[in-house]
Amino acid sequence: MANRIVIDPVTRIEGHLRVELEVKDGKVVDAFSSGTMVRGIELIVKDRDPRDVWAFVERVCGVCTTVHALASVRSVEDALNWQIPQNAELIRNLMFVTQMMQDHVVHFYHLHALDWVDVVSALSADPVATSNLAQSISSWPKSSPGYFRDLQKRLKGFVDSGQLGIFANGYWGHKAYKLPAEANLMGVAHYLEALEWQKEIVKIHAIFGGKNPHPNYLVGGVACSLNINEVNAINAERLAQVKHLLDDAKVFIEQVYIPDLMAIASFYKDWGAIGGGLENYLAYGDLPTNGYSDVSSFKFPRGIIMGRNLNEVIPVDGKDGEQIKEFISRSYYDYSGGNETGLHPWEGETKLAYSGPKPPYDYLDVDKKYSWLKTPRWKGNPMEVGPLSRMLVGFASGKTEYKEVVTEALTKLDVPVTALFSTLGRTAARGLETRLVANWALEFYDMLITNIKNGDSRTVNQEFRNPDTWPAEAKGVGMTEAPRGALAHWIVIKDKKTANYQLVVPSTWNASPRDANGQRSAYEASLIGTPIADPENPLEVLRTIHSFDPCLACAVH
Amino acid sequence: MRKKEIALFRVYVWERPVRIYHWLNALCIVVLCITGYLIGNPIVLQHGGNDASMLYFFGWIRFIHFAAAYVFLINFIVRIYWGFVGNQYSDWKNYFPYSKKHFQNMWDVLMVDILMIKKKDIETAGHNAVANFTYFLTFLAFLLSVVTGFGMYSAMSDNWFSSLFHWVIPFFGGDLILRMIHHVTMWFFVVFTIFHVYLVFYHDYVDGSGVLSSMAGGWKFVTKDKFLRKNQKKPEPAKK
Amino acid sequence: MADHKQLTLWEEMQNKGYSRRDFLKFCAWMGAFIGVESTGVASVVRAMETKKRPAVIWLHLQECTCCSESFIRSSHPIVADIILDNISLDYTETLQAAAGHQAEAAMKKSMKDNWGEYILLVEGSVPTGDDGVYCCIGGQTAEARLKEAAEGAKAVIAWGNCASNGCVQAANPNPTTATPIHKIISGKPLIKVPGCPPIGEVMAGIIVHILAFGTIPQLDGQGRPMAFYGRRVHDTCYRRPNYDAGLFVEEFDDENAKKGYCLYKVGCRGPVTYNACAVTKWNGGTSFPIQAGHGCLGCSEANFWDHGPFYQHLASFPGFGIETTADTIGLGLGVGAAVGIAAHAVITNIRKKDEINEHIETSAVPDRDQEGD
Ligand code: HEM
Ligand code: HEM
Ligand code: NFV
Ligand code: SF4
Ligand code: SF4
Ligand code: F3S
Ligand SMILES: [Mg+2]
Repeated sequence: MANRIVIDPVTRIEGHLRVELEVKDGKVVDAFSSGTMVRGIELIVKDRDPRDVWAFVERVCGVCTTVHALASVRSVEDALNWQIPQNAELIRNLMFVTQMMQDHVVHFYHLHALDWVDVVSALSADPVATSNLAQSISSWPKSSPGYFRDLQKRLKGFVDSGQLGIFANGYWGHKAYKLPAEANLMGVAHYLEALEWQKEIVKIHAIFGGKNPHPNYLVGGVACSLNINEVNAINAERLAQVKHLLDDAKVFIEQVYIPDLMAIASFYKDWGAIGGGLENYLAYGDLPTNGYSDVSSFKFPRGIIMGRNLNEVIPVDGKDGEQIKEFISRSYYDYSGGNETGLHPWEGETKLAYSGPKPPYDYLDVDKKYSWLKTPRWKGNPMEVGPLSRMLVGFASGKTEYKEVVTEALTKLDVPVTALFSTLGRTAARGLETRLVANWALEFYDMLITNIKNGDSRTVNQEFRNPDTWPAEAKGVGMTEAPRGALAHWIVIKDKKTANYQLVVPSTWNASPRDANGQRSAYEASLIGTPIADPENPLEVLRTIHSFDPCLACAVH
Repeated sequence: MRKKEIALFRVYVWERPVRIYHWLNALCIVVLCITGYLIGNPIVLQHGGNDASMLYFFGWIRFIHFAAAYVFLINFIVRIYWGFVGNQYSDWKNYFPYSKKHFQNMWDVLMVDILMIKKKDIETAGHNAVANFTYFLTFLAFLLSVVTGFGMYSAMSDNWFSSLFHWVIPFFGGDLILRMIHHVTMWFFVVFTIFHVYLVFYHDYVDGSGVLSSMAGGWKFVTKDKFLRKNQKKPEPAKK
Repeated sequence: MADHKQLTLWEEMQNKGYSRRDFLKFCAWMGAFIGVESTGVASVVRAMETKKRPAVIWLHLQECTCCSESFIRSSHPIVADIILDNISLDYTETLQAAAGHQAEAAMKKSMKDNWGEYILLVEGSVPTGDDGVYCCIGGQTAEARLKEAAEGAKAVIAWGNCASNGCVQAANPNPTTATPIHKIISGKPLIKVPGCPPIGEVMAGIIVHILAFGTIPQLDGQGRPMAFYGRRVHDTCYRRPNYDAGLFVEEFDDENAKKGYCLYKVGCRGPVTYNACAVTKWNGGTSFPIQAGHGCLGCSEANFWDHGPFYQHLASFPGFGIETTADTIGLGLGVGAAVGIAAHAVITNIRKKDEINEHIETSAVPDRDQEGD
């Protein structure tokens, strides 16, 4: 019999994820991914004012904060066919890219890096060699031998204190760590630098949305006003700060994040053949440059890739009742029409019905229902969503920027295109899109400035702010690309109230339990075949799981 | 129908403190309702010169509200005091619906006066039972608006008196709820005043007992024999 | 057991190569941050010299992790310094290297080694419905984990609105019976740090206070630190002069919005919300909701989610439509009263004509034995 391993809590993620694995002959032969916390936000927003819902659903997640608010305001605007001013679109884009850059960098350094970087080994690094290494891959100024020496000293004092804090009981010394000590020391330095940087970039959210986490949104536009002759509005000083932060972000991403990513990846090329999982990729696309209704203007294109066929991008339609459906055959819910049916989100239901083991428990009943996540399917198919899907759809759509960054990375690492479909590919795709996004950010900024220069300072379309102007019934869907992938919210508005509201979230696609046909979703599929050197310390499993950047508060909501 | 002679007493019902209380109270309520309404629904000033430092319009409205609130409160306290030392008509006990009889009387008034279903003679020199009960509710509403009002005020003022009301905020579950309740009391007073003023005029017209003017001069007219039957004694002579 | 002796902050800093001068500067700065007068700095220095690096356990329950995110946004002190130099953060699912049973073991060890001494930070609420099945970690319910960890804690901090008040998941109809932690644990000093999330610098500031003085900060009647929750947003809001003047925004992005007038009429909850947003501001003092043109949502108040809709001055009444405020109902009643009265007056005139006539015709001259005053 195979050996059962349980990882609960899976840490360095958002939320409560439990993974149960069957391991045989040093390899994972089956995997079960379970979300163990639910809040019922879909039930809570029912009957609320649709103009308020963004605030509730934004609290689905404080890590990818803003993306749910964006999907929500769009769903209402879509239902009412409400166009927002171009400035509002651009400000939303700037908030989007801010969120994505911050989230990806935090993921790479603080949630993922310790899977590849051995902090304890950094103690034995030679600061001079570390400096040489750092300077060979980047022109980032903080790279002197003295800098690394001081850091090492600080680290040593920390380790010597015997109180390892967040590093206690880590997998230090595990066979699967491959980096030289110098790369580890550099990794630790950038871990700390990234921690400082991430709090800077989000100031853009504070400028446009008042705070971060959980900046404010507004149905019909954005709440901040543009007035270059007013101290109380977005004026030249505020805009200059945004520009400064965006410039800094680009530098940090190009001189720290990408070089680190490439350096680390070059030691783990074998992970370009592990953790591929599903062969279908879905992206809703986002970052409109000509209004949200013009999908062709999106920087992230919309589409589907089936069977890893990069020659064809299949269209996806969120409003088609036959395309996207959620199933609950293995999830703790009941559907009024029977638990084997799938429901399009406009008809979606959320009835909590726990049927798992009574806590405290050692194992889940994986033969039955075993998760609080529903299982979304596109025309019955499991899909992977996330940075990899976005890069693949962009690549397959023939967009040159995508081709350039992907080809450059593959060449540098000297790996085949197929290495994209892997744990390494997923992690690399995240970095590559961050690079693209950092460039687009400056384009959006320039567009905003041009608009203001041309005398357009509108940020809200008042047309439907008053609910008396609404039809008795309306349905909408708001789609976006969250850092973790394709995100959409579906709303049904009746008599000025939210009659039904359903979220289908990126981590729901990826982390969901299998469907009635036994088809695994992305996490479970990608874990199959993962080598496990030491079942007591399943570091390899964490690598693949973390490559998706799990967010379980999102996934279940 | 033969018309009988009815002798009327002129009874001194409302002593001066009660009358002063009443009109001061009425004035405060009107001021508080108007300023309160404006606090909840402020007029938007769109002055060309938009310099906030030149204006204190809303501040004044709030100031008047708070000033009136203090007058209102002190006046209210005086009336409560008078409920213990004043004449039988202003006795605090009249206002508490504690006895069965009071409820019976209320029922009668409702049937006779308001719904005009039953025919029965009811006459009281002070307020009738329903009126008393309504005033009782009004006093409760006064109390509520004072408590919620000073509760909110305790967050804005560090003065010792309003500080006595700090407990109110958590007690009601936060400032927003406090504000809602406080705001609703305004509508209670608006509706009360509409009914109250109407009924006073109505009774003045129907009973001919001089209710309306009683709040000005203190005197009411009552049927002599009925009055004697009830009171077993002569009406209080007016103090000279 | 740890073989290493626990070092004081001063020893810690010496190990890291800091000079005595650096250390004193650090203490002075910490003192300034938490607002002690310069004469009080000596006591900060003493505190830092003698205090152990305290163990801290951060529990993640029914949450969105925005409190953790907000914490790592703190710019003074920065979080790297807190977690490397000032505290020993022995358990936090968001950042710790270990997972699964390694993570559990780290927590157990820290609890054992520091029993009665560690500080427990709690993010998220506790769903008590259906025996706690709505939030399980390591196969245990959130409630069981919280109770276990609270038992050996010296003090407990409730981060955010979830732990303090239940927050969004506790909003009507609260499908999982989400419960704030003060209803679960008792007998421990508990600091509530409400906000959705709380400001990062406020979170860090509270930790600094505890470290520097070895006491918990002064709390108000609701258990919130006075230093950050003693004033309403409205009392410190820089748009307040507009409020006092009567200059209000009526619709988002109207002329008045572009001039930065007061947001009261578009639903600002600043007058009913206690928080430091307008003073401390967010993200290193960059801005705060009102400065960015959106009213305060009241995110540090209990039950603020059920006090919507957010874009009108007062909440609507339960059972009435979304748009209904007290004013709509009040006006309805007022009009109803007026109409009723008009009808009553007409009927009176018809029905009571006789009685009235009777009175009028038989009125007698009253006794003249009494005089008015
Ligand atoms: C019976 C009389 C009163 C009436 C009808 C009344 C009415 C009102 C109304 C309608 C509001 C606006 C609430 C809102 O929508 O935000 C208000 C606010 C207020 N009232 Fe009164 N009120 C009365 C008595 C008092 C008293 C006795 C106090 C005691 C100090 C008081 C203090 C306040 C305060 C502090 C506010 C909030 C003002 C602000 O935030 O600027 N009120 N009142
Ligand atoms: C034009 C306006 C008003 C007139 C003509 C008026 C007249 C009167 C009269 C005649 C009485 C005595 C009723 C009786 O003997 O049963 C009375 C009592 C009373 N009125 Fe008014 N009133 C006015 C406005 C108000 C207002 C605005 C309020 C407050 C909301 C108010 C509150 C009271 C109370 C509480 C009593 C009972 C007094 C006591 O027992 O101490 N009145 N009013
Ligand atoms: N999954 C997910 Fe999110 C993201 N990215 C949201 O839509 O993390 Ni909290
Ligand atoms: S208080 Fe708000 S920010 Fe913090 S965990 Fe709860 S929902 Fe998230
Ligand atoms: S914007 Fe809000 S907090 Fe500021 S003065 Fe106006 S009502 Fe008060
Ligand atoms: S919404 Fe929250 S962030 Fe501050 S301004 Fe209001 S308390
Ligand atoms: Mg859903």
